Amino acid sequence: MRICGGDDDIATVQFSDEKVQDILIRITGMDLQKIFRPVKEELKPPTYKLMTDQQLGEARQKAIEEAKLKLKMPPVLPERKPINDILSQDKFLAGMETAKYVFTDITFQTPHRERFVVVREPDGTLRKASWEERERMIQVYFPKPGRKLTPSPIFQEGNLKVVYQQDRHEDLLDLCIAQFEPDSSEYHKVHRLAYEDIDKRAKYELLRSSRHFGSLVWHLVMVRRVDGLLVDMLQRELINEAVSLVTLFHMVHPRSESAKEAGRLEAKGVELLKVYASTESQRGGYIELALQAHQQMLQENAL
Amino acid sequence: MVHLSSALLRRYHGGLVIIRLALGGCTNRPFYRIVAAFNKRARDSKYIEQLGTYDPLPNIYNEKLVSFNYDRIKYWIGCGAHTTKPVAKLLGLAGFFPLHPMTVTAAERLRKLAAQKEQEASGSGTEEGQGKEEQRQEA
Repeated sequence: MRICGGDDDIATVQFSDEKVQDILIRITGMDLQKIFRPVKEELKPPTYKLMTDQQLGEARQKAIEEAKLKLKMPPVLPERKPINDILSQDKFLAGMETAKYVFTDITFQTPHRERFVVVREPDGTLRKASWEERERMIQVYFPKPGRKLTPSPIFQEGNLKVVYQQDRHEDLLDLCIAQFEPDSSEYHKVHRLAYEDIDKRAKYELLRSSRHFGSLVWHLVMVRRVDGLLVDMLQRELINEAVSLVTLFHMVHPRSESAKEAGRLEAKGVELLKVYASTESQRGGYIELALQAHQQMLQENAL
Repeated sequence: MVHLSSALLRRYHGGLVIIRLALGGCTNRPFYRIVAAFNKRARDSKYIEQLGTYDPLPNIYNEKLVSFNYDRIKYWIGCGAHTTKPVAKLLGLAGFFPLHPMTVTAAERLRKLAAQKEQEASGSGTEEGQGKEEQRQEA
């Protein structure tokens, strides 16, 4: 993830910190209707159950537990560095073969990250396999369901645009998680393009109650383009979540102007939003208008 | 005819466990399984344990895929199993064993052949060149 501003230290706050995860889980929301919407499966006749109110409450609790499992966020890891390890160079073997030999270790208990995958080139060098070769070999000998040997053509640039036009970002990101490792460059590229498209067309609602929302928010905070999301939250009257978003922003960029202002004024709640609107954001006017409209509505409701 | 059970058979024969290649696949498409088996068994018949695979035909990425279960190979070698020459050569190429001497010898022989062919080619080339010059001088 590239950041333009050089005066903030981002390395201190990671995606996997507890506070960050709490904020992201709160912002993701839990729309049960959307999470458990009908997935295309075999047609089964619906089952009806007769329940008391108490049983209904318990069933709802169970649904919430299951929803929490479904909303588990995939990890955000830095991009992996290419493997360039040569184990031995035997020049006198050159010319013996025309094809490479790829040796994979199929011990069942070793984790895939620690597996030995080694290539003997036709010119005699014995080297560790690159990440792509590793993934291909591990998929051959230990196939993972949902993953293909060659990635499906949906991940090519032209086809991605078609998917975005059809508003199927969530399905695309689910496919991407199944196909690629979280620290590979293709995974990062697909996610970045999807998030940028959503940000450009302000379609945050598509990912709102899904497991990708946390990574979307993290990406926007790292690239400092939180304004669209803030505006969207204010339009949907999600003030608490907007406040958590701004606190997250201050946690990740502690030396930005708005963070310093907020620290000085010790602002809490709606005042944080006003501080952010006045200092850091590009659409500050819109945010302030939305805040005023919200406060007027509160007063009207109180009356 | 006395039929002995398999354990007694092994004891009677003084059976050896060997790590070798068992051939499978179809016509014009060989595929080997690397297998720990008794010495006297047929090549493709009942083995003790499969330890890996070897595909001699290269795939679309020009790779020949070999897999080894190093953990179990170490166990069987610890139990006193020997490997056949092709398996030893593969393990040498993989870096698990030191390089097999016949691999090195074969490489040297290839290089000698290649050097000889070059000499012949350059020798016949110079002869032809000299022959053509003479023809031109005569003509």
